[in-house]
Amino acid sequence: MTHWQSGMSFVAATQFACKEGACMTHQKKRQVLYKERRASFCALHCLKQPSLPTLFCTMAPYTLTYFPVKGRCGALKMMLADNGQQLKENVVSIEEWMKGDLKGSCLFGQLPKFEDGDLVLYQSNAMLRHLGRKHGAYGKKDCEASLIDMMNDSVEDLRLKYIKLIYQEYETGKEAYCKDLPNHLKPFESILSKSKSGFLVGDQISFADYNLFDLLLNHKVLCSASLDSFPALKSYVDKIAARPKIKALLECENFKKLPINGNGKQ
Amino acid sequence: NIPYGNLFLCGALKMILADNEQKLKENLVSREEWMKGDKKGSCLFGQLPIFEDGDLVLYQSNAILRHVGRKHGAYGKNDCEASLIDMMNDSVEDLRLKYIKLIYQEYETGKEAYCKDLPNHLKPFESILSKSKSGFLVGDQISFADYNLFDLLLNNKVLCSASLDSFPTLKSYVDKIAARPKIKALLECENFKKLPINGNGKQ
Repeated sequence: MTHWQSGMSFVAATQFACKEGACMTHQKKRQVLYKERRASFCALHCLKQPSLPTLFCTMAPYTLTYFPVKGRCGALKMMLADNGQQLKENVVSIEEWMKGDLKGSCLFGQLPKFEDGDLVLYQSNAMLRHLGRKHGAYGKKDCEASLIDMMNDSVEDLRLKYIKLIYQEYETGKEAYCKDLPNHLKPFESILSKSKSGFLVGDQISFADYNLFDLLLNHKVLCSASLDSFPALKSYVDKIAARPKIKALLECENFKKLPINGNGKQ
Repeated sequence: NIPYGNLFLCGALKMILADNEQKLKENLVSREEWMKGDKKGSCLFGQLPIFEDGDLVLYQSNAILRHVGRKHGAYGKNDCEASLIDMMNDSVEDLRLKYIKLIYQEYETGKEAYCKDLPNHLKPFESILSKSKSGFLVGDQISFADYNLFDLLLNNKVLCSASLDSFPTLKSYVDKIAARPKIKALLECENFKKLPINGNGKQ
């Protein structure tokens, strides 16, 4: 069982031989780690070596450093949740960001930043591809991979329009945006209505699906009737939202409370 | 098989294909033909370029680059390198989007400010390349991200002529890639040279 709480994930102690109260070797460390929202470190370690005391806990496999928003990390979190993966989150406030040190340390001066062991990645779509590769969400063969790339790039095109509206033209541009939105949803409706599996490419979910799903949720909030004339998109959203681990994530308090965008507009 | 009337979005693709000695059949689509609407209506997302590899039909220039990169060993030696290459290409794409916005929306009013701000966007690539042993963005061989960055740097040299002056690594990077025999041949080829960089004639 996996819980998403306070932006961190930990595996219920009952799954491990080393029970919370009994694991004295790690108890003190765990208390510190809980405070730092890094309990998954210990839980993960315990999962690996339940009967051996050790001097240190290993890092959670994945770490995300980002602002306290859903922003460009919704799809990433959904893909991780759907694959039962833990995620350690370093939340960066705007004040902290404005100091400049962290920004200066980022390769392209931007967040999110994603760490998988020694690998440090920037660019949200590179993260999606990385995790897609690792968790079988990048097609079953090269030509599926290429089609998934194409789908994701088209989702990104729409996400860029969405971002531009939210951050630059919300008050003046919202009505026109919602009016034009069907033109951008039509291709996806067409693709999905022809899909046997109900996914964008092939017969299993890909990182492009999580990305499109996340973006469609954003648009349901922005332009409430946006999916009304798109039955395939509507059932696509319902189907993905009903996947047990996605459903759990969407219902989780700490996910729900995250604003979609950094400026509070949606 | 790329229908497109100018170099826009396809420069890097042509370079990677040329460098790998791959032939490319080009279907050129004039503006008039495009405005008729039939071709546009048949495109999955209503846009060009279209790329065909046998039965596979691809849209989206970066999906095409990744596809060709995968096929021709220009996507890193392992998954880790692939992810880093993805990151690099996405950052090149970020700068390409700024370039495109300037060319198509703000050329007259925004060119000066763009060229003034350009060093801030080139700095990260200068930094990455100056630390690179191979002289490529990732690992020890050229990747699709390199062709993409190279192409974009050529565009920016035309737009802001002194843009690489304070970036010695980027300068030698451009020179090195331009000197690769098949790239050199492509750059000197009449049909490539005569293509305008962008669809509105601005550069």
